[in-house]
Amino acid sequence: MSATNLATPVVITPSRGRGRGLLRTLLGTPLGIAAVTSVAIVLLLALLAPVIWGDAADAYHTDALRQGPSAEHLAGTDSLGRDILLRVLVATRLSVGLALGATAIAVTLGLLLGTLPAVAGRRVGRFVAAAIDVAVAFPALLLAIFFAVIFGVGEVGTMVALGVAGGPWFARLTLTLSATVASRDFVAAARVNGVSRGRILLRHVLPNIGEPLAINATLGAALNLLAFAGLSFLGIGVQAPSYDWGRLLNEGLNGIYVNPWAAIAPGVAIVLAGLAFNLTGELAAQVIGRRTREKAPREPLPGPDDAPALPVIEHGGGDDERETLLDVRDLWVRFPSGGRWVAPVRGIDLRLHAGESVGVVGESGSGKSLTALAIAQLLQEPAAVAARTLRFDGHDLRDSSSRQTRAALADSLAMIFQDPMSSLNPAMRVGPQLAEVATAHHGASRRGALAQAVQQLSAVRIPDPERRARQYPHEFSGGMRQRAMIGIGLMGTPRLLIADEPTTALDVTVQRQVLELLSAVRAEADSALLLISHDIAVVAGMCERVVVMYAGVVVEDLPVAELLAGPRHPYTRALLAALPDMETPRERPLATIPGRPPAPAELTGGCPFAARCAVASDRCREQEPPLATLADTGAGHRVACWHPQAGAVGAADVKTETEAPR
Amino acid sequence: MSVLELRGLTVRYGHGSSAHQAVDGVDLTVAEGSIVGLVGESGSGKSTLGKAAVGLVAPSGGEILLDGADALRKRRRGERRPIQMVFQDPYSSLNPRMTIGEAIAEGMRGAGGRASRRAEVARLLDLVRLDPALAGRLPSDLSGGQRQRIAVARALAARPDVIIADEITSALDVSVQGALLNLVRELQRQLGLSLLFISHNLAVVRYVSDAIAVMRDGRIVEQGSTERLLAQPTDPYTRTLLESVPRFARVTEVPR
Repeated sequence: MSATNLATPVVITPSRGRGRGLLRTLLGTPLGIAAVTSVAIVLLLALLAPVIWGDAADAYHTDALRQGPSAEHLAGTDSLGRDILLRVLVATRLSVGLALGATAIAVTLGLLLGTLPAVAGRRVGRFVAAAIDVAVAFPALLLAIFFAVIFGVGEVGTMVALGVAGGPWFARLTLTLSATVASRDFVAAARVNGVSRGRILLRHVLPNIGEPLAINATLGAALNLLAFAGLSFLGIGVQAPSYDWGRLLNEGLNGIYVNPWAAIAPGVAIVLAGLAFNLTGELAAQVIGRRTREKAPREPLPGPDDAPALPVIEHGGGDDERETLLDVRDLWVRFPSGGRWVAPVRGIDLRLHAGESVGVVGESGSGKSLTALAIAQLLQEPAAVAARTLRFDGHDLRDSSSRQTRAALADSLAMIFQDPMSSLNPAMRVGPQLAEVATAHHGASRRGALAQAVQQLSAVRIPDPERRARQYPHEFSGGMRQRAMIGIGLMGTPRLLIADEPTTALDVTVQRQVLELLSAVRAEADSALLLISHDIAVVAGMCERVVVMYAGVVVEDLPVAELLAGPRHPYTRALLAALPDMETPRERPLATIPGRPPAPAELTGGCPFAARCAVASDRCREQEPPLATLADTGAGHRVACWHPQAGAVGAADVKTETEAPR
Repeated sequence: MSVLELRGLTVRYGHGSSAHQAVDGVDLTVAEGSIVGLVGESGSGKSTLGKAAVGLVAPSGGEILLDGADALRKRRRGERRPIQMVFQDPYSSLNPRMTIGEAIAEGMRGAGGRASRRAEVARLLDLVRLDPALAGRLPSDLSGGQRQRIAVARALAARPDVIIADEITSALDVSVQGALLNLVRELQRQLGLSLLFISHNLAVVRYVSDAIAVMRDGRIVEQGSTERLLAQPTDPYTRTLLESVPRFARVTEVPR
């Protein structure tokens, strides 16, 4: 098979060298520049200072004993008339070198010990892990002093002592990090393939824990620098005639009333060098952990930020006379990414009537969840939300900072998320979590609120609600938790329920029960429902109307009856054709949609579906079609397509995968 | 072509009174060159069963036989591993620090020099319909669907007789799911593989499988040919499962 008849076009986003990106981000902030430069200076001094000033620092000036600062000796001289500033500079090599040496010993020892459980058998592993845990419990400095006595007083002895004392800590870190990596499926795959333990460690585990280890080693070096200075100061570390900062500090302190600079100079050196290592470690941790926030790009925001608000529509468009509950027009969500704005949601129009149920379907990355979060005002910086209209129940959400609007949102909008385990507080009993809503929003008494909570649990068909209210979320099954979540949502008097993939984490049998419950309680409370799901069958069963999203825009908005009879947009049709059900003919290959949706940064201006569409023309590739009603559709059916299709969905709606002959 | 047999397979987690029987005396046969679908809800033990079959979980009882011989006997280093597995989450099943080519080559056995390995990687990538030029890329450059094809290629690199596919499409979107299912079915036929296809999605299982086994609480409650089991389910749980599949009466052209 040649590359030309590949079934799926391979789209490769250019990969960026990670290391280079790291350095660039490090140097991108003033703090980063300061940290990297100061470490560079410290290391340069450690390398060069003894070579340049080594002899001068040892020269006796018998005419200038114990002098204060002068033009000749900027930090004065010691009891033998040696220049203190030069001695501080020269001492950089020994101070930093010993600290790095101790860190190297600690890291090596830590890696050896920490990876032993992974290489050795299970029993040895458990023993080593327990031994590490015990060793970590001892204070490192105390251990170091103890070891220093064993290994002998002096620089090498102290270095080994500090290294050995730091080993257990790194071993514990290595152990924890490797356990996380080892639980991932690629390690399981390697085990299935019979890859040896040693190779798994070298090829799969270590490369994936290198970064956090390196950061902690940098931070450890800063600590060792301080520890070493302390030990030398106490007389345990470096012995005369050698000198490091700790020893200089000790000597300087004797004559502090004659020349304070003799103590201040080495002290400042210790603080500065320690800070340099510490800052660099912290910054690297931030960059690697992606804790740094992207700065807002300079370029203008795409979207309707300065556009005037549109006139308010009180009653639903078309032939629907129900009150308009939610009116969203031209909604944009933008994120800074690599110095540019990308827009995963690009101008969504969405309107819900009171009591209406609308489903939003789309693949991952289509922007459906972001749309829901933007409506519920749950998106935070660096996301930038803007819309020409964003009204809910008579309140303008564009001005969501006002207390009134927030109170209205809290009262009449409820949100149900996919994973009930992460939206319920695991440390709080379920009953009080429901009761909290009543006390916070309706000023109910504690006892009254709890009674209300029990009543609510029974309303969401949880058997034995009194006992269940006293249980913690982990005692509930997945389906029960989602019921409790729905219960929390309905504690207020919500006019709108937004459910984001509420049953995706559940089994089919439980899914059906939860969906039935959602339908029933919604009908009782007469709330509107915005159901976000990747599952078109679920949405079709629950909603009156379906909004199909693709690459951040609505491509079709239609009544469910028309979705079943034959939608007009090629993407909707392809989605339906590709969905296997209990009647799909088994002897034929499944219909597929070749390729993948474009990422927000890859959009070129034409119809986002054009590259995967069976009927796309040049116009589709150049001009993005607007969402509009067609001549032959009702006002309730809008399509964004230059070549809308008609009739029942069939094989012609997909670019069928051609099987290459072999 | 090979047959995989599980006889009285039992897997127990924990000890003493807190022990939990995840798989409880399961008898299951994946016939030569056939696809057996294993359905059940989460916690039913279907994934544990799959892990036991490839030796990732030690069974506490029963036998796992490949063509009548113990499938989990100790193998020498470099010896072929005839049972392979494709995992659910393509974002967790590929090492982010290893290139695609290295990941696939790791499963190969006996292939000699570097050139022959590279040629074999290219062949496998071609087999799963990916550009062989991807071999030098890292997984982060690929989409979920492409990653899952790599995972299939890695499993095939060991030249297996049996593949355990554990929820291989549940992390994928509908539009890529179909392409992967087509590929798996075609490769299975072309290479004469036996396949244990684990999924909670009955529509998907029905489409790929020759036979279906329904699992609940560690036991197989019903098994049989796909046609028979779907048309005349005898176990009440199978019936509940069938009724729970969301259906909607879309109008489609009758396939000619």
